[in-house]
Amino acid sequence: MQILYTDVLVIGGGLAGQRAAIGAKRRGHDVIVLSLVPAKRSHSAAAQGGMQASLGNCLGGTGDNEDVHFTDTVRGSDWGADQEVVRMFAHTAPKAIRELAAWGVPWNRVQRGDHQITVNGQKQTVTEPDNAHGLITSRNFGGTQKWRACYVSDGTGHAMLYTMSNQAIAAGIPVHERMEAIALIHDGERCCGAIVRNLMTGEILAYMAKATCIASGGFGRIYRVSTNAIINEGIGAAIALETGIASLGNMEAVQFHPTGIFPAGILVTEGCRGDGGLLLDGAEYRFMPDYEPEKTELASRDVVSRRMEEHIAAGHGAKTRFGDHLWLDIRLLGKEHINTKLREVKEICQYFLGVDPVNELIPVRPAQHYSMGGIRTNYRGESPQLKGLFSAGESACWDMHGFNRLGGNSVAETVVAGMIVGDSIADFCDSPDGALAISTSLVEEFGERERQRLAGIADSGGSENAFELMKLMQETMTANVGIFRDGERLQEAVSTLQDLQRRSRDIGLRSSAPGANPELVAAYRVQRMLKLAQCVAFGALQRTESRGAHFRADFPQRNDRDWMRRTLAIWPGEEADLPTLDYEELDIMRMEIPPGWRGYGAKDYIDHPDTPRRQQQLDEALQGMERADRHARQEALMPFRHLLPEHLRGNNQRLGED
Amino acid sequence: MSDIPVTQLGRTLHLQILRHNPRDPDSEPRLQTFEVEEADAMTLFIALSEIREKQDPSLQFDFVCRAGICGSCGMIINGRPGLACRTLTRDLPDHITLAPLPAFELIGDLSVDTGKWMRGMSEHLETWVHSQGLEQADIDSLEESMEPELAEQLYELERCIECGCCVAACGTAQMREDFSGAVGLNQITRFQLDPRDERSDADFYQLVGNDAGVFGCMTLLGCEDMCPKDLPLATQIAFLRRRMVAVR
Amino acid sequence: MDLLQSLTGLLLVMFIWGHMFFESSILLGKDAMLWVTRMFEGEHIFGKPYPLLVSAVVAVIFVLIALHAILALRKFPANYRQYHSFHRHMGAMRHTDTTLWYVQVITGFAMFFLAGTHLFVVLVQPDNIGPYASSDRVWTGRFWILYALLLVSVHLHAGIGIYRLAMKWWPLKAETAPRVRERLKVAMWCVIGFFLILGSASLLTYMKIGYDHADRAGERYVPAAASAIETGK
Ligand SMILES: Cc1cc2nc3c(=O)[nH]c(=O)nc-3n(C[C@H](O)[C@H](O)[C@H](O)COP(=O)(O)OP(=O)(O)OC[C@H]3O[C@@H](n4cnc5c(N)ncnc54)[C@H](O)[C@@H]3O)c2cc1C
Ligand code: HEM
Ligand code: HEM
Ligand code: SF4
Ligand code: F3S
Ligand code: FES
Repeated sequence: MQILYTDVLVIGGGLAGQRAAIGAKRRGHDVIVLSLVPAKRSHSAAAQGGMQASLGNCLGGTGDNEDVHFTDTVRGSDWGADQEVVRMFAHTAPKAIRELAAWGVPWNRVQRGDHQITVNGQKQTVTEPDNAHGLITSRNFGGTQKWRACYVSDGTGHAMLYTMSNQAIAAGIPVHERMEAIALIHDGERCCGAIVRNLMTGEILAYMAKATCIASGGFGRIYRVSTNAIINEGIGAAIALETGIASLGNMEAVQFHPTGIFPAGILVTEGCRGDGGLLLDGAEYRFMPDYEPEKTELASRDVVSRRMEEHIAAGHGAKTRFGDHLWLDIRLLGKEHINTKLREVKEICQYFLGVDPVNELIPVRPAQHYSMGGIRTNYRGESPQLKGLFSAGESACWDMHGFNRLGGNSVAETVVAGMIVGDSIADFCDSPDGALAISTSLVEEFGERERQRLAGIADSGGSENAFELMKLMQETMTANVGIFRDGERLQEAVSTLQDLQRRSRDIGLRSSAPGANPELVAAYRVQRMLKLAQCVAFGALQRTESRGAHFRADFPQRNDRDWMRRTLAIWPGEEADLPTLDYEELDIMRMEIPPGWRGYGAKDYIDHPDTPRRQQQLDEALQGMERADRHARQEALMPFRHLLPEHLRGNNQRLGED
Repeated sequence: MSDIPVTQLGRTLHLQILRHNPRDPDSEPRLQTFEVEEADAMTLFIALSEIREKQDPSLQFDFVCRAGICGSCGMIINGRPGLACRTLTRDLPDHITLAPLPAFELIGDLSVDTGKWMRGMSEHLETWVHSQGLEQADIDSLEESMEPELAEQLYELERCIECGCCVAACGTAQMREDFSGAVGLNQITRFQLDPRDERSDADFYQLVGNDAGVFGCMTLLGCEDMCPKDLPLATQIAFLRRRMVAVR
Repeated sequence: MDLLQSLTGLLLVMFIWGHMFFESSILLGKDAMLWVTRMFEGEHIFGKPYPLLVSAVVAVIFVLIALHAILALRKFPANYRQYHSFHRHMGAMRHTDTTLWYVQVITGFAMFFLAGTHLFVVLVQPDNIGPYASSDRVWTGRFWILYALLLVSVHLHAGIGIYRLAMKWWPLKAETAPRVRERLKVAMWCVIGFFLILGSASLLTYMKIGYDHADRAGERYVPAAASAIETGK
């Protein structure tokens, strides 16, 4: 077996992986990036709508700052997020945007003068001031108080990923494409690289590294209907789980996006609604104001998706032979706007539906979209259980999203986390802990184990079909672990998954083609994906409350008293068919904003006794600080800057703020 | 109101696929025909996945986003390059011939290594913003301002998804392996236009002022006609040609 | 080099189009043609025909063509493998502009010989141009075969060449480019058609005159006016 050595191994060539790689490289460490596909094809490229950062340049963003962004994100998370991390994030996001701007992302800019916008179905005229002309502009997104989503037409992720990749190429960072990490190498305490399969030749190699960073994106493909790319199968998270040491956090927190096109599940961006698009039912009636009079179409995603499904369940959907759906109406935005700012949307409608959104309605229904859960890390991006293992981006549970992520906060997270984690990785490599002291025989052992596993599948002569099991898993998840969950269905999902897992040990192959062999790939992936799916289903079954995207019809209230805690899933061993769940308390006494109402969605929740105590503490801390600036006031409530790498601690400059 | 367009059902599609597995010493390139029952709103992505799941699990092809935005699934569809994931079968005849993109290294069947080619192109043409002191860029202060139209113009050129269709559609690229292709030339014009890139036309001339670059293009225009993102490739190449001639 | 190739191409096209008008003066009658011929020989300026002037023009054109051909040859498929891959590619793509280029290569290649011969003839016999001399060459000298081929080649080549020149250099706006291109293409076919008709008509005229004059081949044309004077004498 070939063994490659490097300082830092980054598993994943999306925004998060490449930004972390650049960070570590700048600090003088050798980095290798692995990716299933060419880096620029990573799913980050699919992000259309925007990246949140409180620049506050355009009119709709006036008055925006880190504090508002922080508040929105915490509310969005339904108080499931780690507030220190959210603070670090909101503080660094403007820097990330500005860095990307310097690197070449053609962010859309503020144009001085009058503009027509569409709000609540009405045309309005706003006037952008002269001094903002040419600065980065932003659009409105769900769950936010300000226009904060910076964008590049509706190819935001594409433009960001290309710029990022090009800078990584400039930095001379090698990307080993079509390489799949299939196991982490570790000695029970320390992770020191990965066993990797070459997806062109089928060869097995080992990469040894001082630090390993998993940035493998989401795992939406455990669901049947998902907006995710078909490579988003979560193998990165699964190999962390398979160590039996590292834990996955909040796996039951899965986001459903309101506007997947029906029935293909391809996403049309939230920007459609942000820019003024409306949701209509089968009778072409605008129903959202009835449910959410304040935020209407622009409540957070979990709320809008739930209202949509509720409305369909009440029989108001448009009926087709594939099932029911609702309509998205962007006709009122006008041809000009659609052809420039929503061009990808137009293309998608044209190519996949044969519909022209300038004149016609778009059929939509919520689809799985984002995994808030992932590899649990501390604020530095390191696994608390397995030293030398880091994670960033969607694959991580760094935990700034809690139980619901706001639109545009995800690509922002990838870059911000990449910036921060890149530095922690470099720190780690520079520290005495970073030294690699692991015998090659251990590496050989891991390599041999994986080879055996693959050979076991290839030679098993088993009767099960990998593609079939994959389909059954996906259907179970979509049917039973979807937007509305209840004990009964979750229990059913858990048992079905257990059964599928048993069957997956008996997968046989029909093809023995040399090379990558797509059937073999499906086989070893489905075995791992079933474990992830079980973490989601089992975690959801245990969590007897509703929070953010996790909605239990049998426990519709948010329950802060019993559930101010993060789920941690650990896989106890190869033979196990359920994860071991552990819980990590979220300490209200350390929160800057104690739990409360989100400003949209249901108002009733069960309070935690700490909430009033903490509120009182906070009020006291602010006493006598009425004239201090907002940074000092914030500092008094929950200091966070010391957690950031030094070069990221400075204040962000803004128009109208010093 | 419009409904989701529905195909005439009951068609049986005959997909003739060029098979070859270079990893297998016994494999010879050959055409293999598969039959698939057409379904509503079926794309080639759906048809190919079905073949792999139900008929031949060894069939190799690449899809990632399946939404026409990542550029993975370029292939030759009835003679012309295109994105398979957003090609609806209802727009095609009963007999469909699929082949891998030429000009790229074959991985197997319909899968080719566009990634390696594109990375090579990027490294060779240095397709990134060249600017002094990027590492020390001050990211706390207000960003440099930029004219809104310029930003939009840059994005227009940046919409390329590196799918390789333009390279496969270009007769020149078929004949000359070192040709940068419309994809590379277009990216150069994107950086040429970008005020953040400090390179001069003379620098660009070093990169593309030769027969492997802009002077290799014979204005066959296949690139522009086949580009799934409708990039104005011919206009951009003409622009670059004028600039590069002016350098001398 | 590209610029040079295009410039020579452009000059040649301008020349050839001009050439067509002059040479089709035969359609207006033998006198008109003679007048044009004499003009080129400088009679109107110098009062006396200098066929050598024609030779000079021919020489210039010859150099232009040679230069153009050498430059364009770089683009020819260098070996069979390249030719083969292009051919297969073109066949599969069924793409107009790609095929047009191929037409240009083929016609260019053909002209290498055809135009060479033609130029050689007018170069060595500059005084042998005139309503009868030309017609005799065309008919009795069997040059019509060559001319017919040359006619088709040169106009396809020139028409396509000009269209390609426009696409290559003309600063178009990206938004309007596709529409302009569409129109240019239509214009290109019209121009090609026009010249082909014009050329065929003159060629036929030459052929007819040549046919009628076949028995007296070699005799020079005497302008109608001149013969009138002679008869009047
Ligand atoms: C359709 C869509 C639209 C979106 N729009 C927005 C938006 O407008 N705003 C927003 O903020 N967010 C948006 N998101 C979410 C956001 O795009 C993603 O969360 C984010 O891009 C994830 O980035 P990443 O770097 O973590 O992972 P990815 O970009 O998914 O990259 C994962 C990388 O890991 C590699 N990889 C995976 N597994 C392995 C393995 N086992 N071995 C080796 N390599 C591996 C892959 O090849 C890939 O390079 C959208 C998501 C979708 C699906
Ligand atoms: C011996 C004869 C000739 C040969 C071998 C020849 C060959 C070629 C070839 C191969 C091309 C394509 C080059 C490319 O696409 O880059 C070309 C282009 C062209 N030719 Fe010719 N040609 C000849 C004579 C002529 C003549 C007589 C004319 C004028 C009527 C002409 C006008 C053009 C023009 C305008 C172009 C386009 C220029 C360009 O694309 O840069 N050529 N020629
Ligand atoms: C200066 C150079 C040239 C001179 C003086 C010249 C002159 C003539 C003359 C006098 C004729 C009439 C027939 C004859 O007398 O044989 C003729 C015909 C023709 N020439 Fe030329 N020629 C020149 C260059 C060219 C070139 C470069 C081309 C193309 C590559 C060309 C293409 C033709 C064709 C196609 C005909 C036939 C016309 C018809 O069918 O009507 N000539 N030329
Ligand atoms: S220019 Fe067009 S065809 Fe070429 S790689 Fe880019 S998107 Fe594909
Ligand atoms: S097809 Fe090729 S020759 Fe030029 S115009 Fe396009 S690159
Ligand atoms: S799969 Fe992404 S473009 Fe076709």
